[in-house]
Amino acid sequence: MTPNSPSTGSGPRSTGSGPNRRTFLASSGLAVLAAAGGAPLLTACGGGGPKNEGATTGKKLKNLLPAYVAPDLVTPDIPAENGSSAGFTKALPAARLKTSVPERLGRGAEFTVMSPIWGNVPPRGNPYWTAMDEAAGVRVTWQNQQGDTYGQKLGAVLASSGVPDAVVVPGWELTGKIPSAIAHKFADLGPFLSGDEVKKYPNLAAIPTGAWQRSVFGGKLRGLPMPSATTPNIAPFHRTDLFEKEGLEAPTSAREFHDLCKQLNAPRSKVWACGDMTWAAWHIFGVLPEKPYYWKLVDGRLVNRYETDEYLEALEWSRKLYSAGFVHPDAKAETGNIGDLCAAGKVWMYCHDLSDWYGKAAVQRVDDKTFRMEAFDYFAPDGGAPTLYARPPADIWTFISEKADEKTVRDILALANFTAAPYGSKEQRLRMYGVEGVHHTLENGVLTKNGKGNNEVFSTYEYLASPAPFIAYADLPDVTRGMVGWQQRQGAHTRKPLFHGMMIIEPTRYTELNAEFEDLEKDVVRGRRKVSDVRRAASDWRSGGGDKLRDWYQKLLDDTGDSAF
Amino acid sequence: MAQSTVRPPAARRDAAPAEAAVPPRASSRVPLRHRLRRDRVLLLMVLPALLLLLVFHYVPLIGNVVAFQDYDPYIADNAFQAMSQSPWIGFEHFRHMAEDRLFWQAVRNTLAIFAIQLALFFPVPVLLALFVHSFARPRVRAVAQAVLYLPHFFSWVLVITVFQQMFGGAGLIAQVLRDHGHEGFDLMTDPGLFKFLITFELIWKDAGWGVIVFLAALAAVGPDLYEAAAMDGAGRWRRIWHIQLPALRPVVALLLVLQVGNALTVGFEQILLQRTAVGPTASEVLDTYVWNTGLDNGNFGYGAAIGIVKGVFGLLMVLGANKAAHLMGEQGVYKR
Repeated sequence: MTPNSPSTGSGPRSTGSGPNRRTFLASSGLAVLAAAGGAPLLTACGGGGPKNEGATTGKKLKNLLPAYVAPDLVTPDIPAENGSSAGFTKALPAARLKTSVPERLGRGAEFTVMSPIWGNVPPRGNPYWTAMDEAAGVRVTWQNQQGDTYGQKLGAVLASSGVPDAVVVPGWELTGKIPSAIAHKFADLGPFLSGDEVKKYPNLAAIPTGAWQRSVFGGKLRGLPMPSATTPNIAPFHRTDLFEKEGLEAPTSAREFHDLCKQLNAPRSKVWACGDMTWAAWHIFGVLPEKPYYWKLVDGRLVNRYETDEYLEALEWSRKLYSAGFVHPDAKAETGNIGDLCAAGKVWMYCHDLSDWYGKAAVQRVDDKTFRMEAFDYFAPDGGAPTLYARPPADIWTFISEKADEKTVRDILALANFTAAPYGSKEQRLRMYGVEGVHHTLENGVLTKNGKGNNEVFSTYEYLASPAPFIAYADLPDVTRGMVGWQQRQGAHTRKPLFHGMMIIEPTRYTELNAEFEDLEKDVVRGRRKVSDVRRAASDWRSGGGDKLRDWYQKLLDDTGDSAF
Repeated sequence: MAQSTVRPPAARRDAAPAEAAVPPRASSRVPLRHRLRRDRVLLLMVLPALLLLLVFHYVPLIGNVVAFQDYDPYIADNAFQAMSQSPWIGFEHFRHMAEDRLFWQAVRNTLAIFAIQLALFFPVPVLLALFVHSFARPRVRAVAQAVLYLPHFFSWVLVITVFQQMFGGAGLIAQVLRDHGHEGFDLMTDPGLFKFLITFELIWKDAGWGVIVFLAALAAVGPDLYEAAAMDGAGRWRRIWHIQLPALRPVVALLLVLQVGNALTVGFEQILLQRTAVGPTASEVLDTYVWNTGLDNGNFGYGAAIGIVKGVFGLLMVLGANKAAHLMGEQGVYKR
């Protein structure tokens, strides 16, 4: 999680449109890294499935993973804790920044990189790209595609013969046959990175091992990971300044939330109590995550997310918010940006990606210095500590084309090593803020991107590879402290789901098994279908392949255990 | 030209064989190279359209083979290799389609939307054309046309946003109602009214644009006909009934036949954008279903199979509608 343009104020998941929301829900992982007794294993539980199906575990996995060399260049102002990001609240002057890459590793290779972008594509040859190219010793031709519709382009590009040299693939796009494409179209990076080989790229060696574990596809190390915090990324936001003004306190139970909505809802004044809270409800009610971490053991038997009472309770609670008229109509229609409505005081509470905390503050504080929007802590339905499940340690990767020659592969890795430099280094300053005087200024410790910076310095390089997760908003240190603090408090209640951090590829015959649930969830909370329809759908799911999928996972669990090693 | 448009059907039937008989004889006498030289300008003019048709319609037809495969586009370097390597599964996709509840739900929605659009949308451009044509002053007519054409150039995102601002739960009308002590109102999330809502949006966006072809037909009516009718004492309504509507009839018939052929294509982006607002039960149509299952879920073979069924259905509908047009004495899309 790193700064983006304040004008967009968001990372890859913070836009509010339908497709993005849907693809986000589509969940990530498909391949499992599992191990039992250290035995090398590329399981094809389905029995002789495609190249990409199954799980890489144990000794074989250990042999694939790059060595870990702990970074020591900088010390964060707020150390990571409970799976949170580290926090940096200050921006050092350029002269005091450390050098992370003393020697240019790039040898001038030209290559293309396809990446999502949330914003306008900068013009070719702009000073930011040129400076990055020169600093890393490469020549990149970017093929940026709009993030919200990236999956549509990705499928078509991977099916063509013109696959770019490097392709960024977010975890939420790993649907359908895309995992199959990864095994077929992208290079094995093992010879370049496994074991001590990675030490040629010190910043890649500093990426936590958990993130690399999630980068093994089809028995080979293929991905360059962007590590992420394992704490929840969806946060329930409220305008703290307005709450304090009205003498209100954040809710601490599901009942309190409902009662608060009742108190605050005022459609006649064009003010609604909340946006769609279904994603928050998953956390409040302790619902299992999405595929492939959607199992838990109950009396020795695997039970799926769709079969649990928590899942139904969360839907029922969200449904009541809708039926009581607390949810803003734009959220019901899934149009507009509910976060903007909250920032404007038209919606009291909403949930979204944690990056909205900074995004909204950066935009609103330009005119209103007292603006404060914060996330409140999750609670159990009846109050008290919630049951939260840890997120995977990496969910965006860059893959390198199988057709790329060695020089190209090495130079892409050189660029990744540059982009993975830690915060507090010259390299990361250039990556995040562009060139001083051209894209940003630093005065009195306040680092500000100018108009050119906002138009050219977008998040794309960081998807090539990033350091261990960090939050660094030196322009708004209170926001940085708030975000990291929130992650750490939630992290204290976080537990690992079954198979956590393992890369699982389900057999393709189960690809569409869960497809109906997302629509069903939306229908149920909006009152178009009943909660009993979900029970029926779960029953259909069982008979339509769910029970066989359960057997497949049971075999995986029996063979490998519930963790990679 | 004006006379031909108002010619009674019987006269046209008599003339047709003579017209049809002459060209083949004439062309058979002229050698091919002479004909090519004679018509070269016309042939050149038609060439780009033919190329477009070939590249974007006929060549992609090869891809229909994936409807009979468990197709995985990613197992090879290009689509043709992937086709040659994907396993054949015969009519499995078509069998699945017959049992697929969601497919039939999409068919039902598609046909219902088509019927509603045919009944409510189709007459609107005709009426608008008559209305605009009635303006005597060219400047007024030009302004009216510009105002009517404008919404056609708005994207669906914009149109739906405008409708949301007007008819949504937090929109203008709902707010006025609340200000006067009534309950709110949300047209945009009502599954029962969705099919009418999208027709309403379509009328607002495209009915004005549809006027062009009818205005062209009306412009082709000679002023002598109006003068003759006026001399005989025909009033405004009689002129519409006896001159303008008959002048529009062939165009109406042509467009109707084409529309029927497109019965299973009732809008994609417009519906996809509003899918969550009303849910798939009310809004899923064949094109969005193909998108979701074929492209989003990567079941390309099944998507192609649905595309084939849609194409065959469309062809049968065009042939049927054309036959009906012929029976009613109209020319339809092609001559008998």
